[in-house]
Amino acid sequence: MIIVEKYDYKKIGLKCGLEIHQQLDSKTKLFCRCQNKLQGTRAPDFTLKRFMRPVLGEMGTYDEAMLTEYEKGMSIIYEGYNDVICTYELDETPPFQCNNDARRIALEVALLLNANIIEEMHVCRKNYLDGSVPCGFQRTMILGKDGYINLENGKKIGIDILCLEEDAARKIKTENKINYFRLDRLGIPLVEVTTDPDINDPQECRECAERLGLLLWTTNVKKVLGSIRQDVNVSIKEGTRIEIKGVQKLDWIPVLINHEVSRQLKLVEIKEEIEKKNLSPKDIPNKSIDLSKVMAKTNCGFIVKGIKSGKKLFGINFKGFKGIFGKKLMEDYRFGTEVASKVKSISGLKGLIHSDEDLKKYKFSDSDIKILKSFLKSENDDCFVLVLGTKKDVDRAMNVVVNRVKLAFKGVPPETRRALENGNTDFLRELHGGARLYPDTDSKAIINKLEEIKEIKNNLPNYPWITIKEYSKKYKMEERQIKELIFTGNLNLFKNLMEIYPNNPVLIVTTLLETKKALRRDGKEVDHIKNTDYKDIFSLLKKKEIGKEAIEELMIFKADSPELTIQQIIKKLMIKTISIEDLNTIIQKIIDNSIELIKKKGIRAMGPLMGEVMKEVRGRIDGKIVSEELKKIINNKIKE
Amino acid sequence: MAEKLKGYKGKGLELLKKNDIKIWDIVKIKANEGDFKGIILPRNEYSAPGYVEIKLKNNYNIGINALNIIQIEKIGKKEAHYKIPEKQFPKNKKLLNIKLLGTGGTVASRLDYTTGAVIPSFSPGELFSSVPELADICNLETEIVFEILSENMKPEYWQKLAEKVEKVANLGKDGIIISHGTDTMSFTAAALSFMLKDLSIPVVLVGSQRSSDRPSSDAALNLINAAIVARSDLAEVVITMLGSSSHDYGLIHRGTLVRKMHSSFRNTFRTINDVPLGMVKNRKITMFKKKYQKRNKSKKTRALIKFEKKVALLYSYPGLDNEIIDFYIDKGYKGIVLAGTGLGHVNTTIYESVERAIQENMTIIMTTQTLHGFVGMDVYSTGRELQNIGVIPGKNLLPEVAFVKLSWVLGQTSNPQEIKEMLLKNIAGEFLEREIPIAFNYNIDNLLKNNKL
Repeated sequence: MIIVEKYDYKKIGLKCGLEIHQQLDSKTKLFCRCQNKLQGTRAPDFTLKRFMRPVLGEMGTYDEAMLTEYEKGMSIIYEGYNDVICTYELDETPPFQCNNDARRIALEVALLLNANIIEEMHVCRKNYLDGSVPCGFQRTMILGKDGYINLENGKKIGIDILCLEEDAARKIKTENKINYFRLDRLGIPLVEVTTDPDINDPQECRECAERLGLLLWTTNVKKVLGSIRQDVNVSIKEGTRIEIKGVQKLDWIPVLINHEVSRQLKLVEIKEEIEKKNLSPKDIPNKSIDLSKVMAKTNCGFIVKGIKSGKKLFGINFKGFKGIFGKKLMEDYRFGTEVASKVKSISGLKGLIHSDEDLKKYKFSDSDIKILKSFLKSENDDCFVLVLGTKKDVDRAMNVVVNRVKLAFKGVPPETRRALENGNTDFLRELHGGARLYPDTDSKAIINKLEEIKEIKNNLPNYPWITIKEYSKKYKMEERQIKELIFTGNLNLFKNLMEIYPNNPVLIVTTLLETKKALRRDGKEVDHIKNTDYKDIFSLLKKKEIGKEAIEELMIFKADSPELTIQQIIKKLMIKTISIEDLNTIIQKIIDNSIELIKKKGIRAMGPLMGEVMKEVRGRIDGKIVSEELKKIINNKIKE
Repeated sequence: MAEKLKGYKGKGLELLKKNDIKIWDIVKIKANEGDFKGIILPRNEYSAPGYVEIKLKNNYNIGINALNIIQIEKIGKKEAHYKIPEKQFPKNKKLLNIKLLGTGGTVASRLDYTTGAVIPSFSPGELFSSVPELADICNLETEIVFEILSENMKPEYWQKLAEKVEKVANLGKDGIIISHGTDTMSFTAAALSFMLKDLSIPVVLVGSQRSSDRPSSDAALNLINAAIVARSDLAEVVITMLGSSSHDYGLIHRGTLVRKMHSSFRNTFRTINDVPLGMVKNRKITMFKKKYQKRNKSKKTRALIKFEKKVALLYSYPGLDNEIIDFYIDKGYKGIVLAGTGLGHVNTTIYESVERAIQENMTIIMTTQTLHGFVGMDVYSTGRELQNIGVIPGKNLLPEVAFVKLSWVLGQTSNPQEIKEMLLKNIAGEFLEREIPIAFNYNIDNLLKNNKL
């Protein structure tokens, strides 16, 4: 359980914005006609190796984030499939026409968000050097601008822009400085919705994200795990705008924001502290010192082993920094962690050692510490940092350390961070400059015709929060359940099933939510059960050809044997309703064999006997009838 | 004015003119779809009329229907002036001196972020900024010989280029790289191969299939590989481009056996009817072929640059008509390369005109549109008949190479006997004595993996 500290958000000037990415459910991809379908864990048919180079920016300089990425010296391996990947995804063929279905879905979303539609869209390129897009840029276009979404209390959150763009490739792993990407996800159409920084409270941010999610999921978008991804931007008055990527659950949002607020407040405190000590960036040394020789015989095992294998130990001393590296910024996260996470990301080293830590835990002896201090000229008021690795990695790492420490004088450096499960974040990359967006010279402008916009506008679905209220009233269900129907992608199916079987909405909801969830937990492939299967099941239920107890059994069978229809399964299972007479015969037979039990327990024999009867008739007749009949017959027997 | 509002037409142009707004002006626009602020951009001349195109502050470009614009107001101006940072290209006495000749293709370039246009970077300093690795390989000088689109290449440019190579080689440079658009690169390679007699140093043509403004470009790697070949001992005209879709190795193709085989793949160039001369990987050359011309600075390179322009390349197809041949005869053409079907056939109905052409002193050479394999004009009676009429079998010549060779030969002599002799003489490695079995379907990756090269 994470304890959430609360702040006076107004006083600290909290501003949050959201960026939501949602995959669209068109048949094919955005700029080629490959299937819009992920391939899961299927082994790839081929691989390709590539390198990315930074391109010169607008002012003839390189974008900082791109340069950092390049300096990591990573190469990329793309993994693809011959049947679902074409040469477009490999960056070997220019783009084909923009997918019209995807464009129409995006238009619907934009109109639901009250955005102004851009009539003539220009496809732009957004550079990415991490390898996630083989051509080095994502194709993206603005489709809507200046919209809004209402919160429950009536507050309007502005929608800055809505873009239609391509999804990036899926990262599989990083090994030996190679990033592996699978190309099946690349090019799937996405809408990116960016709000204005109008959100001033962590809970408000959660609500806004939830509403955006609900709204998206009432349109024709992909409704599976991972098809929606959200980023949160957080800033406070004294801090900086920080982008937090990869927020996977709505409940993470308030926690992440609070932790980020804490981090920013503490970084500002550090800035004030070092200023008070009259330190300045000029006091930060640029050069680190080679300690490999003097520390070759230290008591610390991994350092000895490292140096023996040819690695280098370098150290650097920061005057007056005692206590700074050990200062807690968030739960389980100190300034030392902050520097180390950047070192890890950029140099690939596992981390660093700093003197605010208990150096004894690394098994340094007192004389080791004395040697370190004397070689680094480290006084009691200072803090030193040690890094172990190959010369090249250590150089790069020390560079990161020095630069990050210098940035401490500025408070909160702008960067992109990654959300972690414990509510913390770590360094992901430098914030991209604006100069990485430029027109795509491979494609023509795309026109959104006014008649088309009008037509879509006239057929917009209801807002989900209205639907939720309506349905919960109409079917006497909790709002939470309707919400869950939307977030599991089952709302339309629910509506269809209600038309077929209006008798029992709770049964339908239980089937679609609980039964499905339970079966999935048991490892059943519930995705094999298609919407038509559910419709077949409830039609049979309506015609009383099966009892509701048969539902789960049918679902299990279908999950295991997707090639069979529900009718075929029923034939196999011999599920057929039985008449009350037949039921009574079965009950009679069981009771005759259990006279002793009834004599001993009387009506309390009902429990075990019910189980035996159900074993014979499950799914063929309603359990309620069985229980009534059984009771009647037992009572008769007792009277006898 | 028209120039200042490049690409604008119809209502869009009217609106801008009326409000005295020019390209690069920062404007505030009030429109039916809301308010916008951005920079007026030049427009592609083939785009729809009636729109005003702006770059928003977030760097996205959009077009607004001029009819929906209620008000447009200039609030500033921001013209982008792009410059590639120039850094002194370092000189190292231990390294060879290479000259890079530019023809208009961009091997290195940077981007105009506003319009997406590519700005070539070409001076050594600019190249050093964008591909600093070059300085580890050679000393570099650059010169723009001409600036054209590759599809606009013509014999006059080949001549200019050959003269330049002759001069540079004889001035003592150690190697030449020619940056060239890929569309007609193999034509230029063949032309230089025939023109340059006693070539003393490597001449390496190079280009890129993904322009250098994108992070995934093959340009830098191709340029680095070309520099490695240019400092090697291989004194021939070659093309060096990536050998696979991966950014892994470059292949070295002889200028008279190479062809662009895919409209967009990185490894579009292939040596046809043989394996390539060699490869470059991690800055090392591995030769697959042992026989090639070696660097020899004591040789004096000569450029024999005369070309006959009245030569045609004719692709055979079912229904090809006498009229077409007659047209060339009547226009005074001196030679035709036929890209025949199969072993070197054209339909018999045009024999009459072919015969007439040869009687009128035209040289006709037969190649095959299968590209792979030799023409075999002794196999069927039709082939023998064509030879009897006087059509010269072009052996393994690629149609394009035959075209370049015929144009060059006809520039050198008009004596029918000499023409035939020169055409059938192996001048620049264009003729193969034998076709090795793997030549048709080789897969370099597999051959490398199995150590068969």
